Amino acid sequence: MGKREQKVRMSLQTLRVLETFLENPTEQLSGADVHQRCGIASGTLYPILLRLEAAGWFVSQWETIDPSSAGRPRRRLYRLTSTGLKRVTEVFASFNRGVLA
Amino acid sequence: MSQRKDGAADVGGGFSGWLLHHAARSAPESLAERLAEEWLADLSTRQSGWSRLRFAIGCCWATRVIAYQHYAPTLAPSSAVAGTRLLAGDGRRGSGFLSRRTTTFLLVVGLHVVFFYVLIAKLSQTMVPAKTLPLQNRAVTEPKLRDLPPPPKPQPFDPRRLDLTPPDTHLAIEPEPKTLSGPEIDRAVPPRDQSPPTTPPPAEHTAQQIQGGPGAGFPNPDDFYPSFARYREEQGVAIVNVCVDERGRLTSDPTTVQGTGFPQLDEGALKLARAGSGHYRASTEDGKPVKSCYPLRIRFKLKN
Repeated sequence: MGKREQKVRMSLQTLRVLETFLENPTEQLSGADVHQRCGIASGTLYPILLRLEAAGWFVSQWETIDPSSAGRPRRRLYRLTSTGLKRVTEVFASFNRGVLA
Repeated sequence: MSQRKDGAADVGGGFSGWLLHHAARSAPESLAERLAEEWLADLSTRQSGWSRLRFAIGCCWATRVIAYQHYAPTLAPSSAVAGTRLLAGDGRRGSGFLSRRTTTFLLVVGLHVVFFYVLIAKLSQTMVPAKTLPLQNRAVTEPKLRDLPPPPKPQPFDPRRLDLTPPDTHLAIEPEPKTLSGPEIDRAVPPRDQSPPTTPPPAEHTAQQIQGGPGAGFPNPDDFYPSFARYREEQGVAIVNVCVDERGRLTSDPTTVQGTGFPQLDEGALKLARAGSGHYRASTEDGKPVKSCYPLRIRFKLKN
């Protein structure tokens, strides 16, 4: 998945995912964390995460644990990029512009 | 799946794990390994077998959408739309004279037509004309009443035969102490030989006041429903105090008396109240418009 900038179509589920990440923009969340916080099913959630990563809004990396000592597989953690944070802020600001007009 | 807490989770987890591997294998090759490991890690956070199964089925769906996004990145559809297109076939990729979407539409319309035709045809066959039966006249014998004894003859009224013994009750009624003074009694019952009654004083004139409100041309509240509040599904009733002159114009900035609990809705209510200046219906006193301040109730409610 390339990191090129591309237009991201906003759906309600996408907005919910972005809102979850906006609560703490520096926090790294796995898919399971996002599901717990916003309740989006896996069939919808992972395509959104990958799409936003492909658009350069998110960046992901493996959790830095030893699976054998931790007793569980390592998780894939997603985080907002600076570009993503800027774009997300613009998206939510556009809602506010509707109020002030 | 190393973390299995109970038997149900064991069975669900095993099948769910198999489903996940199957789904990941269907993903694009560059993503298959990553998705398998990522989904297995997220699957391990779920405890119940049913939850794991739902997660795995969702991942099967996600694989199809991800594959579609991966191989057709220029379309960039939303996930739900992409999945639907993937299963039903992309309507734009038509084969032959009609596209798949048009064919499906015509098929659905045709099925409806056939259904209603059959329904109407069946109903018309089952309708049975009403049969008129010939009238039958027969004499009805009136049932005989049972012989009852004649009523007793009324006896003449004899007042001497009335038993007028008083009831066996003892009532102890103490006289009320006289507490009324003379003048009060005089006020209650005026003597007749006094001066002619004076005419009562005229009743005070009370002005009929009618409170104003939104008048003709008042802005539509829907235009002031904040977009973000709509997205957050925020609803409520705000009460804004407005001061209006005789011509329906605001004389001061409106203030919030009672908020909705949502700052953006309150701000929208104030904007609506300000935008309505010149379109208010002024309060009236005896039919004449006057300056006044009154609360304006603004409800923000989402329509389904």
